[in-house]
Amino acid sequence: MSGTSATIEKRLDHLQHHFIDSDQQFESAKLGMWIFLATEILFFGGLFAAYIVYRSWYPELYIQASTELNTFWGAINTGVLIGSSLTVAMAIRSAQLNQIKGLIYNLYITIALAFVFMVIKYFEYTHKFHLGIYPGEYYTFEGIAHEKANIFFSIYYMMTGVHGLHVLIGIGLMIWLVFKAKKGAFHSGYYTPVEITGLYWHLVDIIWIFLFPLLYLID
Amino acid sequence: MSAHEHHISSAKFLWGVGIALFILTVLTVAVTWIQIPEPWNVVVAIAIAVVKATVVAAFFMNLFWDSKFNTMILIMSALFFMLLIGITLLDTLYRIDPVPSF
Repeated sequence: MSGTSATIEKRLDHLQHHFIDSDQQFESAKLGMWIFLATEILFFGGLFAAYIVYRSWYPELYIQASTELNTFWGAINTGVLIGSSLTVAMAIRSAQLNQIKGLIYNLYITIALAFVFMVIKYFEYTHKFHLGIYPGEYYTFEGIAHEKANIFFSIYYMMTGVHGLHVLIGIGLMIWLVFKAKKGAFHSGYYTPVEITGLYWHLVDIIWIFLFPLLYLID
Repeated sequence: MSAHEHHISSAKFLWGVGIALFILTVLTVAVTWIQIPEPWNVVVAIAIAVVKATVVAAFFMNLFWDSKFNTMILIMSALFFMLLIGITLLDTLYRIDPVPSF
């Protein structure tokens, strides 16, 4: 219903009464998101702590067990996520320049790349399940001569699983952004949800940047 | 609208950042081909990951042009993460007898 008058006058329909201006509202939203991202870092930090403690106890286990992870597909997925970070950044640029079509196309590419990531992850998981590499007590694989091999894969599934959940949530958020953009909700004066979702998506990328060498590239 | 305009990165710049991140990804895989001795392979892998994360935070998450307060939040979260790791390792590394079934 809105969106047609954007070029004629400055739109301020998004501005809430308790903010001085659009800029203050934008900066406040971004600050709030950064505080949320700090909690996300500490949340993943607990998982990284488990990883580090077990690696310090059983360094040889990590070297043996990580050979079951496919470096090639891990590297491809790293590239896919970096590509999606680029398209999110391009989406924000499009919104800043009032190019709503560009915004929607970049969001589509980002969603597609996120799905590619999840599909590769799905094949990695099912391949391991097929071998009997399940987490914890359900572990039945006999190809790794180490009694704690199930612990490595519990940590692997927990870290990549929670990360994958974040990717799925990101896909949901970006589909929501596409709907809002199509309704004409965003313009160069208001694109806060795009910016905020972008920050979230980049953090998910950063987490994977650490997961990839720590899980796939040992040996 | 705004008193001061938000920073808008050029498409060329964003592509440059993306390509730099791709190159660093290739580099982090390539350093595993030359066998670096034990503690240093982890150090190199983490160092490259930290560089990549810094590039993403500075130029994709716009911290480079942003309010310094947001950068401080990110740095504080990293410091508290290191505190978590440090204090945990002070315990787990120096146990004479690790919890038996762990």
